[in-house]
Amino acid sequence: MTPEAERARVVVRRGLALVAIGLLALGAVFVVALRFTPIERFQGLPQKIFYVHVPAAWCALLAFTVVGIASILYLWLRDARLDLFAESAASAGLVFSTVMLTTGPLWGKPIWGTWWTWDARLTFTLFLFFLFLGYRALRGALHDPGERARYSAVVGILGMVLVPFVHLTVYLFPTVHPQPIVLKPSSPSLPWEMLRTLLLSLTAYTVLLIGFVTTRYGLGRGAEARGELDAG
Amino acid sequence: MPADPSANAAFMWTAYAAVAVILGGYGLALWRRARRLGR
Repeated sequence: MTPEAERARVVVRRGLALVAIGLLALGAVFVVALRFTPIERFQGLPQKIFYVHVPAAWCALLAFTVVGIASILYLWLRDARLDLFAESAASAGLVFSTVMLTTGPLWGKPIWGTWWTWDARLTFTLFLFFLFLGYRALRGALHDPGERARYSAVVGILGMVLVPFVHLTVYLFPTVHPQPIVLKPSSPSLPWEMLRTLLLSLTAYTVLLIGFVTTRYGLGRGAEARGELDAG
Repeated sequence: MPADPSANAAFMWTAYAAVAVILGGYGLALWRRARRLGR
């Protein structure tokens, strides 16, 4: 085994360890949220979806921001590792977006009375999801590594530009989606028992995000070390 | 909010199950790819 392949194996092993820790922590979040967190007075049980929905949104937006930053750095430094890192973050971002777009309607139906509405926050989030699906499709369609990295970096940066708009939509076009209750200029408006569960969930999800990106990056490096052209 | 509490619980359980399947499934897929790489 070449030194490069050995390094990739170490990265994969560390990534998988983080994924395992993240999944265990997620199990703990489920127990704390379902068993030890009070039921919200007005929404009842569906409000507990909050603890798995909001951290998914946080991780998806964080991952897409990382894609944009890695893409800018790629265009500047032309280091193929940055392109691979951006792709790894995009894949993880899509996974967390899927969680967000699955749990959102499951929360919306009992509370808003509808699975989906073309509210600005929901619509922008869906656009962002489709944009990164396009990013994946673009990478699959281009076979020249330099060309693939360059074009997908541009799409990745455009995706990152959308991220602040997604966050600000609830202020710019306030309709049904609630405004932030933690990430806002004033202090969080949540009782401690609920805030504690949310913070625990944010930690578990973030560890999972780092684990997913690290593992995926290591797998890509390993594939490159073995001479496989398409690491995706 | 639906009047039926069991309907409320179903939405909650479905959401938590979906999270477990999606995140656990992706973790499992990465682990299987890592095993193939290790061979």
